[in-house]
Amino acid sequence: MSSLSVSTSPLPDEPFAADGVRVSRSAALQRYSLRARDPAKLAAVVGRELPGRIGGVTDGIAQLGPDEFLALLPVGTQLPSGEEEPVSVVDISSRAVGITVEGEGAAALIMSGCPLDLDRMAPGQATRTIYETVEMVLVRESETRFHIEVWRSFAPWLWQSLRLSAE
Amino acid sequence: MSGYRVTGAGRVDRARTVAFTFDGQTYQGYEGDTLASALLASGVTLFGRSFKYHRPRGVMAAGVEDANALVSVTRGPGRFTPNLRATAVEIYEGLEASSQNRWPSLKTDMLAVNDRLGMFFPAGFYNKTFMWPRSFWEKLYEPTIRKMAGLGNSPTEIDPDHYTAAYVHCDLLVVGAGRAGLEAALAEAGSDKRVILIDEQNELGGWALSDPDQAQWLAQSVATLTAAANVRILTRCTAFGFYHDNFVGAVERLTDHLAQPGSGAREKLWRIRAGEVVLAQGAIERPLVFEGNDTPGVMLASAARTWLYRYGVAIGRRPALMASHDSGWQDAFAMAAGGVTISAIVDVRDTVDDALLRQAADLGIAVHLGSSVIGVSGRHKVTGVEIAANSGTGRKRIACDALMMAGGWTPTLHLWSHSKGTIAWDESLGAYVPDKANENVRCAGACSGQMDLGTGVVVPALPTPKDASRIKAFVDFQNDVTAKDIGLAVREGFKSIEHVKRYTTNGMATDQGKTSNINGLQLAATALGRPVVDVGLTTFRPPYTPQTFGALAGHAKDALFQATRKTGIDGWAQDNGAVFEPVSQWRRAWYFPQDGEDMHAAVNRECRAVRESVGIFDASTLGKIEVVGPDAAEFLNRMYTNPWKMLEPGRCRYGLLLREDGFITDDGVAGRISPNRFHVTTTTGGAARVLAMMEDYLQTEWPDLDVWLTSTTEQWSVIALQGPRARDVLSALDTDIDLSPEAFPHMSVRLGQICGVPVRLFRVSFTGELGFEINVPAEYGPAVWKQIVAAGQPYGITPYGTETMHVLRAEKGYIIVGQDTDGTVTPMDAGLNWAIGKKKKDFVGKRSLARPDIVAPGRKHLVGLLTEDPSLVLEEGAQIVADPAQPVPMTMLGHVTSSYWSEALGRSIAFALVAGGQERMDETLHIPMPGAVHKAQVSGMVFFDPEGARINV
Repeated sequence: MSSLSVSTSPLPDEPFAADGVRVSRSAALQRYSLRARDPAKLAAVVGRELPGRIGGVTDGIAQLGPDEFLALLPVGTQLPSGEEEPVSVVDISSRAVGITVEGEGAAALIMSGCPLDLDRMAPGQATRTIYETVEMVLVRESETRFHIEVWRSFAPWLWQSLRLSAE
Repeated sequence: MSGYRVTGAGRVDRARTVAFTFDGQTYQGYEGDTLASALLASGVTLFGRSFKYHRPRGVMAAGVEDANALVSVTRGPGRFTPNLRATAVEIYEGLEASSQNRWPSLKTDMLAVNDRLGMFFPAGFYNKTFMWPRSFWEKLYEPTIRKMAGLGNSPTEIDPDHYTAAYVHCDLLVVGAGRAGLEAALAEAGSDKRVILIDEQNELGGWALSDPDQAQWLAQSVATLTAAANVRILTRCTAFGFYHDNFVGAVERLTDHLAQPGSGAREKLWRIRAGEVVLAQGAIERPLVFEGNDTPGVMLASAARTWLYRYGVAIGRRPALMASHDSGWQDAFAMAAGGVTISAIVDVRDTVDDALLRQAADLGIAVHLGSSVIGVSGRHKVTGVEIAANSGTGRKRIACDALMMAGGWTPTLHLWSHSKGTIAWDESLGAYVPDKANENVRCAGACSGQMDLGTGVVVPALPTPKDASRIKAFVDFQNDVTAKDIGLAVREGFKSIEHVKRYTTNGMATDQGKTSNINGLQLAATALGRPVVDVGLTTFRPPYTPQTFGALAGHAKDALFQATRKTGIDGWAQDNGAVFEPVSQWRRAWYFPQDGEDMHAAVNRECRAVRESVGIFDASTLGKIEVVGPDAAEFLNRMYTNPWKMLEPGRCRYGLLLREDGFITDDGVAGRISPNRFHVTTTTGGAARVLAMMEDYLQTEWPDLDVWLTSTTEQWSVIALQGPRARDVLSALDTDIDLSPEAFPHMSVRLGQICGVPVRLFRVSFTGELGFEINVPAEYGPAVWKQIVAAGQPYGITPYGTETMHVLRAEKGYIIVGQDTDGTVTPMDAGLNWAIGKKKKDFVGKRSLARPDIVAPGRKHLVGLLTEDPSLVLEEGAQIVADPAQPVPMTMLGHVTSSYWSEALGRSIAFALVAGGQERMDETLHIPMPGAVHKAQVSGMVFFDPEGARINV
C-alpha cells in the first residue's frame, strides 16, 4: 500500500486578528526534550551550543531548568540519541503545537491568562508557564512577537481562550 | 429647592436628565447620580425591607458600606442582579431597579408581622427551635425560613454576559483614590515605577468629592495622574481581596453604568501583583445604637453631607443631629452653610469644644448636651425624635424630618486584615488601627488612623430610660442584629467575639461588618465586663464587597470550563457515530452504535468482532513516559514491583506500581527500546500523577541516578489492533517490520516505519487476543488509523470503544486500577503476587507489604463472581453478604467492582472485592439489590481462554 500519511493539526488553518494582535498556527518544528546533569556532555552529544542560563535561547535551544532544554529546530533536523551517555534526548516533535502571537497587543493578550510579568521578559527569553490552567512554554521572539508551545490536546482550548480574550 | 434637590450644589450634570424606574414607578435624576441620590432627591425614603424582621429601611450611608438599601437591577433575560447597594448603582437612561424582600409591595409588606413577633425570634432562634423532628428541616423549616428571611432572589436564568480577566504587575498599587491615595500616587507620577491606582467609585476623589474646598486640588491632581504615562487608573474597580505576596484581586465594572452596554465584557477581573501596596481605603462613620436608629431617614452625618455636596440633595428640610463625635457637628454646620436648616444638635457628651458651641449659636441651632435620642417617630420616614437627658429625665420631642448620626470613625482595615497585618486598639479613636505589616504594604490616610475630625466618645449604646429588653436598637442593620441580641449571646455563654458573631450573625456575610463590627464589639465587651482588646475582633474575609460569580469564573464556562482533551482520532470517531464518555480530562469513544443499536447491542457486536476477526481501538490517551539514561533500568527496578534489569531490548513487561504504603496505585506495560531507554505506559487517568510521583522519588530520594523522565503521552497516537486477524490487517500495510510470530512474539516491541511514518510497534494485548499497539507520532495518527481501517475492510474491521475494551479485559481477568482497586488493595489482595520480583531487595512499597495488617488473614481479595442466574448482570458497587437473612445492619463482605454481560461466554461475569475471597472459592454469596437478593458463586477471575492460547499465535 502506498504511503499517504499526512500530518494533521488540532488548530485551525485560519489565523484570527483583533485590536493590535494576530494569532496564528506556527509552522511545523522538530522538537526535542534534552536533559543532562552536565550541560557540557549534552552539548557534546548534540553537537550544538547550549544557552548558559535558565531562560536563555541559543540557536533554537531554550533552557527551561537547571538540567532541562527544549530544542525547537527546523523540520527534519535529527539529533543523536546519546545512547550510553548520561543524557536524555527524546523526540517530542508531535507532542506540542506552536501558536504565534504578534502585534502591539501581543503581551497584553498573553497576560490575560498568564501570570508572568512580561515587562520583565526580554526578547530572546523562554520559560515554561501557564495560561489559566493550561501549561505552555513561552518564547519571546521580539518585543511584539511570541511563540507558544502547548501540548496537542490542550491547544484547541488555549486557541479559543485567546480568541475570546482578544475580543 | 426643587423636591430635595438643592440648586448650585453637587457634581451631577444638571444638563443631562436621566429617567429610570424603581418598583415600576418612573423617576428622573441627573447624570452622575446614584440610584440612592436620585431617589432621595425625589423624596423617596423607603428603599427596602430588612433581612429578618422586614422592617422598613432607607439609606444609612452614601457608599458601599450602606447596609440597608439593597435593590435588584434587571436588564433583560438572564441579566438580573440582586443585592446591589442603591448607593453604588449609577443611574442610566432606562435603568429598571426594584426593592427586595417584601410581599406584596414595599409599602405594604405582609411579612412585617415578623417585626411584631420579634420577641419570639431572638438570636439563635432558628438553631434552637427548628431542630426536631430532624426530617422537617429540608422539606418544611428551611424553605419556609428562606422565604420569610433573606435578601434578593437568586437569578434563575443563565447569564448571557461574558467576563474577561488579566494579570497585571506594578511596582506600586494604590487602593483607594481619596486624598491619601491620590497623594501616594502623585508622589510617583512621572517616575520610572509602574503605578496602578484603583477606586471603586466612578470618579477619583473619595471624600474630596464631597468637599467643594478640595475641588480645585482634586481636579489638578486627577489631571496630573491622567497625564502620567506610568500611572494606570482604574475606576469602578473594587479591590476585593488581598492574598499572599502582594497579590490583589480587583473587579472592574465595565458596562453596568451604561445605558447601551454593547457586546463587550461586562466586568474584568484584574489579578494584580504589586511590589508595594498602599492601602488608602479610608474610614467609615459609625452609626449610633438607639431605638429607632433604622427608621428611614436616619443616616450617617457624613452621608448627609455627601448627598448635599456631591449630589446636590438635601436629606430633609429640617434634619437633626445625634452625635458622640465632633465630626457630626462639622457636617451639620456644612449642611447649614449649604442652606439646610438644622433643627437641633443632640450630643451624648456633657461638654464639647466651645468653638463648636459658638458656631452652633451663630447659626441659631438648638443644642442639647448630655442627651440622647431615645426614640424615632415615623415608620417610612422620620417625623420627629424623642430625646432625654442621659439621666433619663427631661424627655421631650423634637420635630425633624431626618436624623443624622455621628458615632465616630472606624478605619477600614479589610484588605489590611486579608494581608494578615496585625492591628492595635486606639483608645482615642475607639477603633482598631493597623499595626505591623505582614507584606510590603502600608496604610495611608484615614485607614491608618490618621484623621483630623475632632474628638468623640465611644458609647456602645446610647443611654435610654426605656426597658432595654423591649426595644430594638440595631447594631448590624443588614443582618438585623440588635443590641439585646448581643447581650443575649453573652448571657448564653458566648465569650469570644468570633462565637458571638456566629451566634448572632453580627458582621457576617456580604456586609462583613463595615458599620457594625466596632459597635458589636463594644457591646460584647461591656456585657462581658472586659476590655475590648481582650474580646478581640472578628476576621475580615474577602470579598470586601460582593462580587459576581461571572467575574470570578471569567471564560471558564461552557466549552472552556475546562480543557476537554481529544485525541487526533476523536474526529474520525465523531464522524463515525461514536458515543463518548469522559475519562479524566479526556473524552473517549465509548461505543460505536450502528443502525439504532443500544449500548448493549453495540458492545456485544464489537466484542464478537474482536474475538472472531479484528477490532480497532484508539488507545492514545494511555499515559506514556520515556525513561532514558544509564540508570533507566535501575530506576524502574526501584519504582515498580517487577524486575527490569534483565529485560532485553525489544521486549515488554507488565509493571505494577505501589505507593509507599504498599497499595496499588497504577499499572501498565513498558517496553525496553534500547539498553538505556524505556517506553513506559500508565493508565489514562494516572499519567500526570505517576510522572509526578516518579519525579518526586528521583529528585528527593535518588538524585544520584542518571535518568530522566519525559512525558510522551501526547507524542504518540496509539492504535490498538486486536483480534485473530490483526496480523493479516497489519501485513497489508506498508511496513518494514517482520510481523511473523517467530520474529515478533507476544510482549515485544519493534521500531520501524509504517505507512511512511516512524512507528513503535508493540505486540501486546488487553483483550486476550492476538494484538498490536501501533504508536505513531500524534500528527500522523488520523492518517494511519484511516489506512488501517481501509486495510481491515476484508476482515470486517470494527472500531470499538472503552466499554468493549472493559468487557474484553474482564473476560481475561485483567484489572483496571481505580475501578477494581480503591487505594486499599495490595498486589496479594488483587492476586498479582506473580508481578512481584521476589529476589528484589527493594521497591517502592515493599516494606509495607510485610506490615502485620497487610499479611493478616481476612483481607478483602479480588475474586470473580458468577451469578446463579447467568442472564443477571450485577450492579457495580452492590454490597455482598454471606447470609441475606441476618438482621440489618448486615455484615458486608465487600462489593462488586466490575460487572458485564460477556458475549463470548453467553453469561454475566463480575469481579468483586470480598473479605477472605481467595479462601471462599466456589462458595455461594448473596448480593442484595433493589427488588431482589441475588446469588453468585465465587470464582477465579480468568473467565475466557485461561490457557492464553489465543494470544500466542
